Amino acid sequence: MKFDTIIIGGGLSGLVCGISLQKKGKRTLIISSGQSALHFSSGSFDFLDRMPDGTPVENPIEAVSKLPAGHPYSVIGRENVAAYAGNTKRFFEECGVTLSGDPDRNRFRITPAGVFKRTWMSIGDFALADSDREKIGERILIVNILGFLDFNTAFIAEGLENLGSQCRCTAVKIDELEHLRKNPSEMRATNIARVLDRQEVTDKFIAEVKAALKDEDTIVLPAVFGLKNKSVTDSIKSSLGDRKVVFIATMPPSVPGIRTQLQLRSVYEHSGGEYLIGDTVDKAVVSKNSVMSIGTVNFGDMSLEADSYVLASGSFFSKGLVALPDRIFEPVFGLDVDCPAERKDWYSTQLFDRQEYVSFGVRTDAGLHPFKSGEPVMNLYAAGSVLSGCNSLYEGCGAGVSIFSAMRVADLISNKEE
Amino acid sequence: MNEPEKKTEYDVIIIGGGATGAGTARDCALRGLKVLLIERHDIATGATGRNHGLLHSGARYAVTDQESAQECIKENMILKKIARHCVEETDGFFLTLPEDDLGYQAKFVESCRAAGIDAKIVDPEEALRLEPSANPDIIGAVRVPDGSVDPFRLTSANIIDAKLHGARILVYHELVDFIFEADRMTGVKVLDHVSGEISSYYARFIVNAGGIWGAGIAKKAGATVNMFPAKGSLLIFGHRVNNIVLNRCRKPANADILVPGDTICVIGTTSTRVPYDEIDDMRVTPDEVDLLLSEGMKLSPQLAVTRIIRAYAGVRPLVAMDDDPSGRNISRGIVLLDHEERDGIKGFITITGGKLMTYRLMAEWTTDLICRKLGIDKPCVTATLPLPGSRSDRMEDISGKISSVHLNPVKASVGRHGDLAGQIAHKDDYDLSLVCECEDVSVGEVSYAIDNLDVNNLVDLRRRTRVGMGTCQGELCACRAAGMLAHAKECARDARKDLVNFMNERWKGMYPVSWGETLRENEYTLWVYAGVCGLTAEKSEKDSKVPETKED
Repeated sequence: MKFDTIIIGGGLSGLVCGISLQKKGKRTLIISSGQSALHFSSGSFDFLDRMPDGTPVENPIEAVSKLPAGHPYSVIGRENVAAYAGNTKRFFEECGVTLSGDPDRNRFRITPAGVFKRTWMSIGDFALADSDREKIGERILIVNILGFLDFNTAFIAEGLENLGSQCRCTAVKIDELEHLRKNPSEMRATNIARVLDRQEVTDKFIAEVKAALKDEDTIVLPAVFGLKNKSVTDSIKSSLGDRKVVFIATMPPSVPGIRTQLQLRSVYEHSGGEYLIGDTVDKAVVSKNSVMSIGTVNFGDMSLEADSYVLASGSFFSKGLVALPDRIFEPVFGLDVDCPAERKDWYSTQLFDRQEYVSFGVRTDAGLHPFKSGEPVMNLYAAGSVLSGCNSLYEGCGAGVSIFSAMRVADLISNKEE
Repeated sequence: MNEPEKKTEYDVIIIGGGATGAGTARDCALRGLKVLLIERHDIATGATGRNHGLLHSGARYAVTDQESAQECIKENMILKKIARHCVEETDGFFLTLPEDDLGYQAKFVESCRAAGIDAKIVDPEEALRLEPSANPDIIGAVRVPDGSVDPFRLTSANIIDAKLHGARILVYHELVDFIFEADRMTGVKVLDHVSGEISSYYARFIVNAGGIWGAGIAKKAGATVNMFPAKGSLLIFGHRVNNIVLNRCRKPANADILVPGDTICVIGTTSTRVPYDEIDDMRVTPDEVDLLLSEGMKLSPQLAVTRIIRAYAGVRPLVAMDDDPSGRNISRGIVLLDHEERDGIKGFITITGGKLMTYRLMAEWTTDLICRKLGIDKPCVTATLPLPGSRSDRMEDISGKISSVHLNPVKASVGRHGDLAGQIAHKDDYDLSLVCECEDVSVGEVSYAIDNLDVNNLVDLRRRTRVGMGTCQGELCACRAAGMLAHAKECARDARKDLVNFMNERWKGMYPVSWGETLRENEYTLWVYAGVCGLTAEKSEKDSKVPETKED
């Protein structure tokens, strides 16, 4: 089977790259092993929350020029990053995903732990605050679904009360959700969202919220609405009239993240892209600095060929990188990985300190070609969190690196062929 | 200072909430004494909770130390009766590998039998049939009545029974100083770590059951007990690789015991002398991990492909013999010191040395001494009276009594709490909601622990319920449980700090083995807790009202 481009990895990076290439008329294939980081998304996209030295960032586009040379943004190029950042809202809007926020400004989201955290753009329903001192309402009703433990109302109330709001927490019982508890492990955000996608169930939920409501001006709800049926989210906002409705992310799985994943995948497939899910690339033939073909578990001996290949396989969690006691390797192509030799240099003994291993990944040249045995592989490109050079968690740059490097790779591939 | 008329509030104050302290509290309370136990952390946090969880048959000591071996097998048989819900009768093999001397086996079996341990030579092929995970190259095997024991459950059951008999238990209470009246120790000054207050308590006898920390406690009293801290590191694997305890049939050495327990198994230990001032911060080094793995794989090659969940270390309280000023002559047995006779300090007793296996006997000796001094003539009943949790005749009936539906969380709670699981509310669907999916811990069980089992924080809760002890090491359950604690304690900020501390504590056992699945899992944990939730270590120290930035 022959494609213009084969993309390994079907998460945010792989899908953005695939959609961009399809738009340019390429024939592409995405091979995805299944879950991606979007499944445990915060519901927001980070661009650059702070510099590698910890300095908070207000305007991420401006800050990019001060990043070190090996940072993915530096490799992509400051001008390119600015252009992609400016395009992001429109790109997602065209995919049916509404983002709020501005390209050149960071704002704050309220986390499930009730903490205000810097972020860049938010998916749809999430409120973004201009500062971490901004009250979202005077009197706030925080509503949970009875028995749902992944939405911690006490934490959220404490965070909001610190800013001077008055909070009241309540939990409503919905009969249609009760059966989920027959098997207790089913009380997860996505399973709840599937039931609430039925308008009549969400209507019942709205009625319960109205009954619980006193004089509150603002209502905080868990982000468990609109997994596939976006209109239920709109109906909540319109039914609750002049009260401000704010959705706050739950613990994973992330309903807005999965909705975005599904939406991007559907746009990709509608534009003619092939999406193979549940398969893993386990063979690759590399000769003279070029990938000749790859193979997968399901395809067995049949090889897949393309003019160019994109490695968007993620980091450790997605198995784009694999750690052994004495080394870290990239399992598909055996690419050169930037990381210290000694295990003790991989981690900090304090969990919430900067963990160095998060920044490990494949090094690339300016054309995002990764290296194998010291030589760049010229028809292979790397995008997303498999890249080295940034600590996406510490700096808060995971989504930005994924989106912008994917857009850059798509441009590089199509420019090369023109 | 010295008030003239001081009321003796207690007969006995016990310092230390490990197995020995808890067992002593129980024994004293059962003999009618008025007991107070103080523990500076949670119960079972020292060496009690940091070992293999091996219910020794005594075979390990048979060749080198007959006395210890005899004590072990006696206590082994007692615990199988009185603490059934804490014990699993797995049996054990002592395996001879091609590199070992098969000649040792005969001497080993003979020594076991002399100590009263039922040791049977088993054909290697038969041994491999019974325990397929064992190294297929073995040239010899001996079967002994080893088992596994849950040290926390055992300590907890002793505490529960002590309380039932009137004892008062104060966890998170640390000894500040002793109170003397002339040559008699009469009380303790104690710091309450939760409230920050210092209080005084008085008693006729004060027992130092502080394990390795007992040396420091004795020093406060003006007595010298020479102790040598020996660090032992262990690894927990994510599966129960073996069902029968695996030992090496040779002189005791590093990493030669593999013990199954619940859904996991544990290999250990290393043995390194450490300075006394480091005993509060035991960390496992990469070299120790490598040694444990390479030696462990000789017992069961399967360990090479089994995920390691955690590494941890405990400190053994080795005590120098009083008659040996060089301190080189270490006693491995029980050491009961009557400081009145030894140092002229009336009312002060130290119980140390020994092993988890002999905690009950240590408690018996200590209580006997106190009773003798008080002129009380009551026999010890702890060798025959079952502990709470093990009183029902048939464990299998308990879950049936609790619920007609045999749901997993109910079954799991019976495993953890024995017949006390009947007190856990599983009356509605909410109580059955799962907090921890790896370990099947329900909302009802968490509520029971918070209400009844002295839970101050998530780590306490983990010890009592296994929340956060499964393969994910607390990914979602920690946050869920923190939410329940926030409600119960009515303080979300403390609960959030506690969550950060809990995740950090889990990481302490993970980073020495942070590769493969453990590193993957940790990346996910970081994405969730640092990324999605925005938790930081600073958050736990700084006032959360302080704005993060100084913009305009």
